[in-house]
Amino acid sequence: MGKWECTACGYIYDPEKGDPENGISPGTSFEELPDDWVCPQCGVGKEFFQKMA
Amino acid sequence: MRVIAVGNGLAGVISAKTIRELSRDVEIDVFALERYHYYPRPNLIEFLAGNIPLERVFAFSKEWYGSQRIRVHLETPVTKIFPQSKEVEIEGKRKEKYDALLLATGSFPFVPPLEGADKKGVFTLRTLDDAYEILEFLEDHRKVVLIGGGLLGLEIARAIKHRKAEVEVVEFFDRLLPRQLDEEAASLLKTQIENMGIKVRLGVATQKIVGEGSVKGLKFKEGGETKAEMAIVAAGIRPEIQMAKEAGLVTDRGIVVDDFLQTSHSDIYAAGDNVQHQGKIWGIIPASFDQARIAAISIMGQKKKYQGTVPSNTLKVVGVDVASIGLVNPEEEGYEQIRMERKEEGIYKKVVLQEGSIIGAIWMGTKKGVDQVGRLITQKIKVTKWKRSLLEDDFDFSVIKN
Repeated sequence: MGKWECTACGYIYDPEKGDPENGISPGTSFEELPDDWVCPQCGVGKEFFQKMA
Repeated sequence: MRVIAVGNGLAGVISAKTIRELSRDVEIDVFALERYHYYPRPNLIEFLAGNIPLERVFAFSKEWYGSQRIRVHLETPVTKIFPQSKEVEIEGKRKEKYDALLLATGSFPFVPPLEGADKKGVFTLRTLDDAYEILEFLEDHRKVVLIGGGLLGLEIARAIKHRKAEVEVVEFFDRLLPRQLDEEAASLLKTQIENMGIKVRLGVATQKIVGEGSVKGLKFKEGGETKAEMAIVAAGIRPEIQMAKEAGLVTDRGIVVDDFLQTSHSDIYAAGDNVQHQGKIWGIIPASFDQARIAAISIMGQKKKYQGTVPSNTLKVVGVDVASIGLVNPEEEGYEQIRMERKEEGIYKKVVLQEGSIIGAIWMGTKKGVDQVGRLITQKIKVTKWKRSLLEDDFDFSVIKN
């Protein structure tokens, strides 16, 4: 499972860690995140994320 | 202790959030000009394009503010600052006391002095209300011209095109994104934008917006004109500093701050697009973010220095991956430039070398190898032996050793 970076603020979504504060358990891949999940750091939507090389 | 934040954009909200992380007891009041809870401005583009519904524009709900115990006062602008008595004036009427003040007033769109800029049908995009106005006008005005071919102008053009309107981008420079790209990359990007059905006109300065009452087109200084029923100006931003200036704080192009984001007055801090730090106005989200956190830390009496922001290597321009690192357009002698281009795939790569080390690179249409090249630039490693092969798609960067 790859990491994804927020192009707006630089936050990195790491599937191993998930986003527990917002109800995303560790082990959730970026693709599995709900459509209304937003960057926990700056609030932009999933479409602003890009997969890290 | 009571902190007042002026501004409910990213810098204001992130500062408030950080202060709450650092202290359970501080009272936090955020005064907002707009009537909305926090939304990140990049979402406006997607909303304008019709890619996301209104509810997804917003990032933090009313409940979020409540749970953070951050009092937010929508449509309640701070109108004056009294640094001596540590008070602000609200809506030109009442006063509120603060122990620390955070100025997160952001920026406003710059509209160059243009004849006819006050006509009906001329817009800028900064707020959600701006986006509403554009969408409403767009319903029966389907020929749009963008004045400004920078990042925002191109993104707006893409969004408008997505709404099936006719779009033309007019840019003063003779190529797109002159700071980030070289001639070859800019020309490739132009082709890709044109393939999306967006017209691009380069090297022209708009002299006036013509039309009786409502927009009918643009006239260019060089002669010639173009027809349009709607004009959107995207010619950059200017820091919002008026109130700080009137209060006697040191301002230049922005509100001048030190490494701790403190203004010339103790108890008053600033973060975001309105800030000038070491002569520089950043005007990008990652910088506003860093500054907001550090301003909050300073307000809480801790010491952490702001040392600038490292912008992300890659960005997406109208859906195209673009990376521009270091020196990409050397103007003097003594540099070697090696290029690789596959036009039909929209791929272009270039490295700029000086004495065998890479000092700049452009990567377009692909991200593969960008991070590795970025590292080679930072580490100043000699790459003479691989200078050509490293532009190949399957190049193994691990063979390069110091």
